[in-house]
Amino acid sequence: MMLKQMKQWFQAVPSLRRRLMLFLLAAVSLAALAQGLSSYRTALQEADEIFDYQMQQTAMAMTSGSYPQGLPQELELVIQAWTPEGLQVFRSGVQLPQRAVLGFTNVEAEGRHYRVLSVQRGGQVLQLAQDLTVRQRLAGRLALRTIMPIAIMLPVLMLVVGWVVSRSLAPVERVRRQLAARAADDLAPVQETGLPVEIRPMVGELNSLLGRVQRSYQAQQHFVADAAHELRSPLTALKLQVQALQRAGDEEGRTLAQTRLAAGIERAGHLVEQLLLLARQEAAGDELQPVALDALLRQVMGEQAAAQAKQIDLGLLGADAGNIRGNADALALLLRNVLGNSIKYTPAGGKVDVGLLYEGSTLRLRVEDSGPGIAPAERERVFDRFYRSPETQGAGGSGLGLAIVRAVAERHGARIHLGRSAALGGLQFDLYFSKV
Amino acid sequence: MRILLVEDDQMIGEPLLDLLRAEGYAVDWVRDGVLADSALQTQNYDLALLDLGLPKRDGLSVLRALRARKQRLPVLIATARDALPQRIEGLDAGADDYVLKPFELDELLARIRALLRRASGRAEPVYEHLGVSINPATHEAMVDGRPVSLSAREWAVLEPLLARPGLVLSRQQLEEKLYGWKDEISSNAVEVYVHGLRKKLGAELIQNVRGLGYRVPKQ
Repeated sequence: MMLKQMKQWFQAVPSLRRRLMLFLLAAVSLAALAQGLSSYRTALQEADEIFDYQMQQTAMAMTSGSYPQGLPQELELVIQAWTPEGLQVFRSGVQLPQRAVLGFTNVEAEGRHYRVLSVQRGGQVLQLAQDLTVRQRLAGRLALRTIMPIAIMLPVLMLVVGWVVSRSLAPVERVRRQLAARAADDLAPVQETGLPVEIRPMVGELNSLLGRVQRSYQAQQHFVADAAHELRSPLTALKLQVQALQRAGDEEGRTLAQTRLAAGIERAGHLVEQLLLLARQEAAGDELQPVALDALLRQVMGEQAAAQAKQIDLGLLGADAGNIRGNADALALLLRNVLGNSIKYTPAGGKVDVGLLYEGSTLRLRVEDSGPGIAPAERERVFDRFYRSPETQGAGGSGLGLAIVRAVAERHGARIHLGRSAALGGLQFDLYFSKV
Repeated sequence: MRILLVEDDQMIGEPLLDLLRAEGYAVDWVRDGVLADSALQTQNYDLALLDLGLPKRDGLSVLRALRARKQRLPVLIATARDALPQRIEGLDAGADDYVLKPFELDELLARIRALLRRASGRAEPVYEHLGVSINPATHEAMVDGRPVSLSAREWAVLEPLLARPGLVLSRQQLEEKLYGWKDEISSNAVEVYVHGLRKKLGAELIQNVRGLGYRVPKQ
């Protein structure tokens, strides 16, 4: 209950600095106050005892007929002496009521409170009285002197607490200022040197997050720039082709312009189609179902009419019955793109071999061709969106086919490896699926 | 006027080549940065139309090399790189103008005319000399206020001569304005067109300078 309350109080002050300041200063103040109060009270009590003792000593020092004259003025003692018959033989100061009770009492006379000591001495009753306000004033002065050091130390202590808290939190403030002063796209790491060990790991994590955001931001920027370029090129082509059609002088020119315009529209449509496919693969959820990869492979291979048109020998070397969890449409798209890619880059009369078999617990799809292959330096880049090899720039693809393959593979947790085909000399494309 | 078209995209290059030729320009088309660089080093062009994203060598690098050789021909960049820093970089690398794809053909042609005009050291859009005036924007020619119809080839011979009166152009230089690489040149083509132009515009307009070539006299 109490802890819960404390937690709520802590959370009510969101700033660490303010929280530390508030609670530390409150604790210091409370401690000083308690210490001061207790000192004050002790001092008062002790002063009381001292004054009483002084009165006793004074009374003891008095013998009948000899009344002290040289008492310290500041004590403001009132002295009266009475005979046993009740006759007042001596009085200094105010008239006090006669008291039969011996010892200390507090009495009221003329509207003031007095501490009265009555003693019997040499057949007389001696009464010594002291004004309580005087006594309290004197005692108070004494008590104040005892709490003076605490009163002086308190602000010093507060300053020290404030300084220590500020200095300790200065690195946090520095990091905050560094971050606040940034432009929206400034994702450079925050400086980690000079940070306390409690904060350094946090800033380290922040920096690594900034690094990841930076990379994905850059990738996105590149994609946008590339997409702009890739979308503008077909648009430019279409515009020019329309102009050429409008300005064509004769029937021959018109036919040529129309053919080119149709090809331009075809290309723009293909690009948009591929972009949509890629976007869908990258944003796809995880609705995975068992897919018979071997059956799917046979079906897609049957669709490859381009191979026949180019006199390419497309063959299935072997297909293990392979069930994996996945999305059949996406996997068909992957197979189509991989096979299409090999067929496109393999010269007419060449060869493309496909095999699907288990290697231990992983299912390996291998597509090999007798085309030019891909240089080792380029093997990573070919999966980038819109990347086209400088050598094959004229082939006129959208540059998205392998990016789609990678997106589908990532969605299925499959690993891609590119190499040089030992059997056919061209590209060897391997795709490893882990077993269900 | 002879133009080098540097464009890797076949679907853009083909219609652009035809459209520029229809305007009467002699056009050579190259599809990568290395070929562009060697074409610029070996041929005399009046203008280069340069794409930036090129295979083998980037357009900006070709441009910088061109300017480093102190070649002064106007360069018009036509690219899809639209970011402000890229446009600034292109112009600062030595380009004279920068158009973004997809561009309007008419605007591109107007910019080409403007650059050619400036390169020949004049600001007025209509060339007027010795009673003959030609307007490159409309392809209209007038002699003493009377319209004359010129063929595209005749135009190609007349324009560079009229652009700089007094300057002698050799037959070979005029042939370069007439034909791209792949065109077949008949040996007496320039003579034929000059003959045609003299008939239409008056015998005194184009002078023979024996052994050197042709010129339009200053006065």
